[in-house]
Amino acid sequence: MSDAVVVEQLEKTFPGGVRAVDGVSFAVREGEAFGFLGPNGAGKTTTVSLLTTLLRPTGGRALVDGIDVVADPGTVRRRIGLVFQESTAEDELTGRENLEISAALYGVSRSDAQKRIRDLLERMQLVEAAGRLVKTYSGGMRRRLELAAGILHRPKVLFLDEPTLGLDPQGRAGLWEYVREIRKESGTTIFVTTHYLDEADQLCDRVAIIDHGKIVAAGTPAELKEKIGGDVVTLVPTDGTADLTPVLARVPGVLQVQKQDGGYRLKCLRGESVVPAAVEACFTAHIAVASVALKKPSLDEVFLEFTGRAFREDEGPSATDTALRMNQFRQRKR
Amino acid sequence: MTYRSLFALIRRELLIWVRSPTGIISSLIFPMMYLALFGQALNLGKLLNVAGPPSAALARAAFLGAPDYFSYFSVGMVGFVALTASLFLGAQLIFDKRLGYVKRTIVAPIPRMSIFGGRLIAGAIRPLFLGGVVFGLALIFAHVSGLSGLTVNGHLTILGVGEIIVALLLVSLSFTAIFLAVGFLLESPQSYFGIVNILNLPLLFTSNAMYPQTIMPGWLQTVSMYNPVSMAVNVMRENLFAPGFYPHPAEFYLGELALYAFGIGILTFIIARRGLSAR
Ligand SMILES: Nc1ncnc2c1ncn2[C@@H]1O[C@H](COP(=O)(O)OP(=O)(O)OP(=O)(O)O)[C@@H](O)[C@H]1O
Ligand SMILES: [Mg+2]
Repeated sequence: MSDAVVVEQLEKTFPGGVRAVDGVSFAVREGEAFGFLGPNGAGKTTTVSLLTTLLRPTGGRALVDGIDVVADPGTVRRRIGLVFQESTAEDELTGRENLEISAALYGVSRSDAQKRIRDLLERMQLVEAAGRLVKTYSGGMRRRLELAAGILHRPKVLFLDEPTLGLDPQGRAGLWEYVREIRKESGTTIFVTTHYLDEADQLCDRVAIIDHGKIVAAGTPAELKEKIGGDVVTLVPTDGTADLTPVLARVPGVLQVQKQDGGYRLKCLRGESVVPAAVEACFTAHIAVASVALKKPSLDEVFLEFTGRAFREDEGPSATDTALRMNQFRQRKR
Repeated sequence: MTYRSLFALIRRELLIWVRSPTGIISSLIFPMMYLALFGQALNLGKLLNVAGPPSAALARAAFLGAPDYFSYFSVGMVGFVALTASLFLGAQLIFDKRLGYVKRTIVAPIPRMSIFGGRLIAGAIRPLFLGGVVFGLALIFAHVSGLSGLTVNGHLTILGVGEIIVALLLVSLSFTAIFLAVGFLLESPQSYFGIVNILNLPLLFTSNAMYPQTIMPGWLQTVSMYNPVSMAVNVMRENLFAPGFYPHPAEFYLGELALYAFGIGILTFIIARRGLSAR
C-alpha cells in the first residue's frame, strides 16, 4: 500500500526563532484516518500548514500523494482539501455562494458543482440555511459548511485542523459521523488534528502525539494504550487497618498491587473479571468493601504518560472511564 | 479554467461590496463633502473679478476651458474618488488575511495572479460606479438653485466618453494596485492607515484635481504632471470642456496613464507575489 503523506525530519523555525516543528517524521497510508494530537502550541497547525503549502519548511521534506510540497505546491493543492482551525467561510456571502466559489476555485465543472452542492447541503443539513448569509450561521453550521467546501472537489487527502473546536458534544458527534461517511464512500485519506482524545480513539486508525514540536508517541490507539500497561482497578475497604496486599495479589489477572491513600490500586489485565474476583476475595477474608472502580486506559492517560501533562485538566473523567460504585457490598456485610 | 477562478473571485469581491453599504458610503463621503461644501464655498471664479462676474472668456482661460470653477473642480473630484475608493481595499485585505479568508484562496489550486487579479479588477470596477455617482451629482447640482454645478461646454463624443471611462479605470487600477500591495505587505490595520493617511492628501494636493496646474509654483507643477490623478483628470477635462487649453491631446495623457498603470501593475504584482508565497 502506498503512502498518502510522507514526512521526513520536517522542521519549521519561525523568523522570531520559535521552532514550532522540530524534526518530525511519520507516514500516513492511503485511505487511513490519521490523528495528530497535542496540547495548545504543540505544532499541529504549523505541521498542517507545511503539508498544505501554506508555510515553507526550514528543514526536512514532506510528500503529499507522492508530490513534494516545496517542489510542486500547485499539484499538491489540487489533490488536497483543508478545513482550517478558524472559520474561513465568507460571512457576507450565503452558504451556497461560498460553495459555488469553492467549486470554481477547484475547477469543478458547473454541472458537477450544482449536483454536488445540492447533495452536500442536504447531507450537512444546510438546505434551509443555504440562502442565508454565513454571518447568521451557528458555529456548528459554519463547521459543516466548511467541511462541505473542503470535500466538494473530492480531494485525495483531507486535512482537518481541529474540526470540532467549539462544538457541543452533539455537534461533534455529528461532524465525526459526516467524516466517517465521507471516508467510507470515497476512501479519502484523513489527517485530523484534535484536542479530543476519545474522538481520535474512535475515528483514527493511527495517531501520533506531538509536544513541543516533537513526536513523543505514535501507533494505533490500542498499541499506545498497551504501552502504558493494562486496566486499573481501585478498591477501597471500609476498614483500612488490615493489609490486603497478599489477598489481592492472588486474584487472577492482577499484575501489581499498590497501596494508595487507604485503598489499593491494582494494575491488571481484563479488569472486568478482576472486579468481582477481588470483591469476592475480600468477602472471603471478612473485609467489607466501600467502593470499587475500574479504569480502562484512555488516550488521555497515554498522553499523560508521554508528555507528563494531563491533556485537559479542567475536564471531568473521559468517556471511556467506567466507574462502578458498589455500595451494596457494604450493605450486605451488615 | 483560470478565467473561471478569476471571475469567481471578482464575483466574491463585488458581492461583498454590494452588501456592505457602509463601505460604499465611506468611500463616497469625502468627494461628497468636497462637492457639496468645499467646492461650493471655494469659488475661485469670484476672485477673478471683484467688481462682477468674470467674463466667459476670462473664466475659460483661468480654468483651462471649463466655464466656471465648480465645473473644473467637480471633474477633479471624479478622479479623486478613484483614490478614496481604493483606500479601503488594502485595509479590507488586511482584515481578510487576519480572518483567514485569504488563506482559503492561497491554498486553492489557482494561479497566484488571479488571487491578486480578482481583487485588483473588482477594486477598479468600483470607482467607475462611484465616479459616475459624483459626476451625476455634479450635473444635478447645476439645476439646483443656490448650488454651483457642473456644466459641460465641450463637444463630448462617444469616443470621448470611452476615453473618460478608460482613464477612470486606469487611475483606479493604479491606486488599487498600490494599496493592495501595501495591504499584502502589512499585517496590522493601524500601520496601514498610518501609511495611507500620509499618502492620501498629498496625492490630492499634488494633483490638478482642485486647482489648475497653471497657478502652481514650478516645482509643484512638475510633481503634478507625474501624478496619475492629474493625468486622468486631464483626459476628462479635455473631453468635457472647450478645446485648446492643453499642450497635448487627451490621448497623450491617456497613453501616459496607461504606461503608468502598467508599470505599477507589474511592480505591485511582484510585491503581492511575495506576500502570497509560502514563508
Ligand atoms: N507565524 C508564527 N510566527 C511565530 N511563531 C508562530 C507562528 N505560528 C505559530 N507559532 C508558534 O509555533 C508554535 C506552534 O504553534 P501551532 O499553531 O502549530 O500550535 P497548535 O498545536 O496548532 O496549537 P493549538 O492547539 O493551540 O491550535 C507555538 O509556540 C506558536 O506560538
Ligand atoms: Mg492549531
